[in-house]
Amino acid sequence: MAERALYIPVILGTVRKGRLSANAARLMTDELSKRPAVETELIDIATLQLRTDDAGEAIKDPNFAARMDRADALVIVSPEYNHGYSGMLKHVLDSCLQEYIHKAVGIAGVSAGRYGGTRGIQDLLPVMRELGLVTIFWDANFSHAHKLFGSEGKPLDNSLLPLIDKFLKELIWMARTLRYGRESISLD
Amino acid sequence: MSAAKMMCPFCGSEMNHHADKLTYSSPEEPGYNPLFDGSIEEFHKCPACGASASRLVLN
Repeated sequence: MAERALYIPVILGTVRKGRLSANAARLMTDELSKRPAVETELIDIATLQLRTDDAGEAIKDPNFAARMDRADALVIVSPEYNHGYSGMLKHVLDSCLQEYIHKAVGIAGVSAGRYGGTRGIQDLLPVMRELGLVTIFWDANFSHAHKLFGSEGKPLDNSLLPLIDKFLKELIWMARTLRYGRESISLD
Repeated sequence: MSAAKMMCPFCGSEMNHHADKLTYSSPEEPGYNPLFDGSIEEFHKCPACGASASRLVLN
């Protein structure tokens, strides 16, 4: 039986107007879509319309939850705002739990400065663990995001691609390994 | 751990138990286990179709 394709969506983790992270998220989605036996799509959290008068699984969006359940791994594109990640990203991630368990996650940080969202990534790591996600140890860092992409949102050069390649290779390895574990290795 | 193997609700195959999640709760709630001061939910994955399912461990 042929192995099922991996499903690895990219979550654009900000709703801010004019967000440069959208360019990074599209690039990650484009690069993932070139990989054999990988299906991907861009999930823009601004389109989810989650309520803000409650939180957690009480506000679960069935469509988002179904995509998280189907996912073998996630790419989270997370801009750094005031040295942290977006509050709306946390609001969305907290709406699911069992859908994430023992699945791989890679984080792409985005910032206007030189650190490429590193501080936001560091803050996200313990959140990933509590959600049951398994982090890879490659990050993708988009530093000086306003200088990386042209007016059409395409990268100005190919300098990001080697890093993204390393990131995706590890993520796909982890996704395949964890899928095998979820389906075939028992706790008991 | 629950005694019976979980069967896939979609394709009927035997599922794999791959994770347990502790939720802190109180003694009057279903599945409360004083050893953990909470309840354990089991997570299962179907090797045939990839479906997920979970169940509360009842004492």
